Amino acid sequence: MVILRRKMLRDIGENKMSYIACVIVVIIGLMTYTSMQMARDNLFLARESFYRQYHLADGFAKVKSMPYSQVGKLKDIQGIDQVQGRLVEDVRVLGLDESKNIYLRLISLKQERPYNLNGVKLLKGSFPKGNDRSILLADKFYEAHGLSLGKPLTVIIEGKKVELKISGTGQSPEFVYAMRDGQNIFPDPEAFEVAYMPYEVMESLFAKKGTVNDITFTIKPGFKFEDVEQTLKTELEKYGMESLVAQKDQSSNAMLTEELKQLEKTSRSIPIMFLTIAAIILYIMLKRMVESQRGQIGTLKACGYRNNEILLHYLSYGLMVGLAGGVLGGVSGTALSISFTKIYQQYYNLPDLVGRFSWRYFLSGIILSAAFSLIASFQGAKSVLRLKPVEAMRPPAPAVHRRFWLEKIPGFWAFFTVQGRMAIRNMWRNKSRSFFTFIGIVFTFSMMAALWSMYDIMDIMVLDQFTRVQKYDIKISFSTPLPLSEVVRELQNVKGAKRVEPLVEVPVTLQKEHRKKDVVALGLIPDSELYTPIDKQGNRVRIPKDGMLLSEQVAGSLKAGIGDRLQVESIWARESPVYVDVVGIIPQYLGSSVYMNQDALQTLLGQGDIATSAFISMDKAQIPALKQKYYDSKYIGNLEERQQSIDLYNELMGSSRYVMWIMAAMAVVTGFAIVYNSSIITMAERERELASLRVLGMRPQEVMEVISVEQWFIGAVGILAGIPLTFAMNKALSSSMSSDLYSLPAVTTPSALLLAFIGTILAIGIAQWWVFRKVAKLNIVSVLKERE
Amino acid sequence: MDIILRARGLTKYYQMGEVKVEALKGVDFDIYAGEFVVVLGPSGSGKSTMLNLIGGMDVASSGEIYYRDRPLHGAMERVLTEYRRDVVGFVFQFYNLMPNLTAYENVMLSVEIAKNPLKAKDVIEQVGLADRADHFPVQLSGGEQQRVAIARAVAKNPEILLCDEPTGALDSSTGIQVLRVLKNFNEKYKKTVLIITHNASIARMADRVFYLKDGKLVRVESVANPVSPEEVSW
Repeated sequence: MVILRRKMLRDIGENKMSYIACVIVVIIGLMTYTSMQMARDNLFLARESFYRQYHLADGFAKVKSMPYSQVGKLKDIQGIDQVQGRLVEDVRVLGLDESKNIYLRLISLKQERPYNLNGVKLLKGSFPKGNDRSILLADKFYEAHGLSLGKPLTVIIEGKKVELKISGTGQSPEFVYAMRDGQNIFPDPEAFEVAYMPYEVMESLFAKKGTVNDITFTIKPGFKFEDVEQTLKTELEKYGMESLVAQKDQSSNAMLTEELKQLEKTSRSIPIMFLTIAAIILYIMLKRMVESQRGQIGTLKACGYRNNEILLHYLSYGLMVGLAGGVLGGVSGTALSISFTKIYQQYYNLPDLVGRFSWRYFLSGIILSAAFSLIASFQGAKSVLRLKPVEAMRPPAPAVHRRFWLEKIPGFWAFFTVQGRMAIRNMWRNKSRSFFTFIGIVFTFSMMAALWSMYDIMDIMVLDQFTRVQKYDIKISFSTPLPLSEVVRELQNVKGAKRVEPLVEVPVTLQKEHRKKDVVALGLIPDSELYTPIDKQGNRVRIPKDGMLLSEQVAGSLKAGIGDRLQVESIWARESPVYVDVVGIIPQYLGSSVYMNQDALQTLLGQGDIATSAFISMDKAQIPALKQKYYDSKYIGNLEERQQSIDLYNELMGSSRYVMWIMAAMAVVTGFAIVYNSSIITMAERERELASLRVLGMRPQEVMEVISVEQWFIGAVGILAGIPLTFAMNKALSSSMSSDLYSLPAVTTPSALLLAFIGTILAIGIAQWWVFRKVAKLNIVSVLKERE
Repeated sequence: MDIILRARGLTKYYQMGEVKVEALKGVDFDIYAGEFVVVLGPSGSGKSTMLNLIGGMDVASSGEIYYRDRPLHGAMERVLTEYRRDVVGFVFQFYNLMPNLTAYENVMLSVEIAKNPLKAKDVIEQVGLADRADHFPVQLSGGEQQRVAIARAVAKNPEILLCDEPTGALDSSTGIQVLRVLKNFNEKYKKTVLIITHNASIARMADRVFYLKDGKLVRVESVANPVSPEEVSW
């Protein structure tokens, strides 16, 4: 059917803007589909192959100290397969970037290879050999600092400077997402990574001859982690067990799994959302076209064209949209997936992670978009089947116009010009199309408002945490608890120190009934000025003398409320477990902690007046001096500079913000496509009326009201309806994106609503302007001469 | 003589709300192969209804109508489609050309689905539009558009050419050109042509004239010496 194909192409050409708008929405849908699916696959495949080849352990435990000779005996526990004992120690690195605290986690390696557990993939150079002090460094760290092989790296071990030679670089599946502790959300390879060194070298450097402090193990097939957990715990408690986690909770693996889950979820929902919108646009366009080509359909039928040939002809319009959108969406999605994968490469150390093209998703994307378009066009065009040729040759029965209830509202009707009234009645007459435009505007508005709220929320998270809660300039964490009074005395003498507050910060396991949660308990001094938790309204929360304040997430996961008694276990406590009452619940966006009065916590721990860390507010100019002073102190475990944390967050959130702008732009384009198509259809339907009004002497602007009042009216109602939807979307977004590491408050900010309002107005406005150009160019004579 | 169409008691009524409108009230006729028939009657006499039933565009409410031995009454839509596709060609009063196809492409539209089509180029030449073949309908005059429509119907090489007021929208000299084309097709290819019109002058060029009034066939007249289209005037 060459000729019908030509007719189709010309029809599309005559309405190119409508079709382009529709194709763009399909492209957006397909682009999100292909890019996310491909990125997910890239990430998933890289993870699977890396884990498989380098054997990530099934369980991870930390102990204070355990004789190496005892490690093998753990294999006797039923269900345990292989066991590996290691020394793991964090050390500070000197001489790279004086403005930053840089840490390396040294992990002991046994000489035998290949490794059965947590193997290391060699990327550059060679494994450390013999007894010289050389290390295999994480590649990201090596690259971030521009190091070179064979060069020494200075670290502080036991208070002494030690030079370690870099023999090579590598990567293990255990630290794909390398974070120092639960206080961090994002990896920062400049500040923290891991390095491997031979066990023999490490045991002597750290004076831990013949002992290990880290156990990893695999579980025999047919057994679960829970099966071995209790026995193992009893066994390890003899050696001062500090933690025992299953693979699924291991921090790197948990983050990676969580990301894959998120990607899986969004890669299904977002594309379907856009494709559905495209399908509805297409449906309405096709339905309108079939109505307007009624006479042509009749002629084709009279000529002897079969129903299926005519139907196929109209389906070909949809197919064109589907194929064009599918191919372009697939191509742009592939390009986007490569840049997504590049972003992932920054966060995840997966050696096999590369941006790959996948025919599977490219083709399935095209099929998906073609299927959506065909279904939509079939729905829009199926009436050609019902139309008898003799009916098709006659114009359709004129529409019945009636007054509707809005007209009866006193004053409402008087508000509109005659053209406005035509518009409002038209809107009412084409309820389904008006409803669709309405849904489109609601979607456009709420998507933008929700996205911009997220944008603001990120600021709130960072700002609240770093300016309203954490007001210190420096936080020093000690490598072991120190006597409180000595700490304060020492630090108060630091040059430039304005205020020093000791802090007790201990890991605890909270339990209520069968629910358990590992968190960090902060013991704050009663009138702390440098760390001030706030409530939802931003008011300061005083730490009560007794009892515990829970963050919302902790309370949520324990299902604990005010007045509940929690069981508290801690390896730091002299006696465990102890019991504490919940006295309050407060929001916390970054991390999940619980708060207690410092004295109360100390009493609970029964270790006397100790401090594990301290907050310092000080003269900024003196910070480098302070760092210099304590750089090589063996009592200092970590030195956190608040400003650096803020900078890091802002830098890392930059990429999320970029994605949000793209999504918001997509929402505007979608809104435009919907309003434009709906207006064009109204214009085509009412061409004769518009031309008649022009003949009456109306200006194009006045005639345009017939179309624009309808769109603006629906737009206004849509924006209003979009406000509650935004709140709901934010709630859903915040609960779906919150994790143990951070929680997003479900906040809808006025500025987000305002921006969304402007964006929606812009989408409607541009669409109207485009239609106006057509109205202004309307050929009055030929329109009026045409036969109905 | 070879009967190509036969109708007996052909009736069509339409249900308009509660009112039953009878458009055709039990009409009997035979039409012979190669005949040039003109159906005359005022508006509302049932001419178009009759044409639609003959052309398989609509089905009769009662009565019988046959194309040769094939019954069209009570036929499925699928059967009627094949009948329209293979047997009849339609020419409409308002041309009904596809606006975004050129004259040539409009003709090709029917050539593509015909079993034994004529050459589109030849047909366009015969209707005198060889130099206008690449024009779109809006670029053609009414007479030219109607000639394209005839070319489109003729190119299929149908057994029966059905024309609904083919000159209704044209001035007389343009109308005569159109009638000439129809007559040529009738004479050259020996195909049946049936024209419905309320223009009595056209009847003079027919072999037979059917008179319809109030849905009834009131009279059938044979014309002893049909005149050429050029002798017709109105």
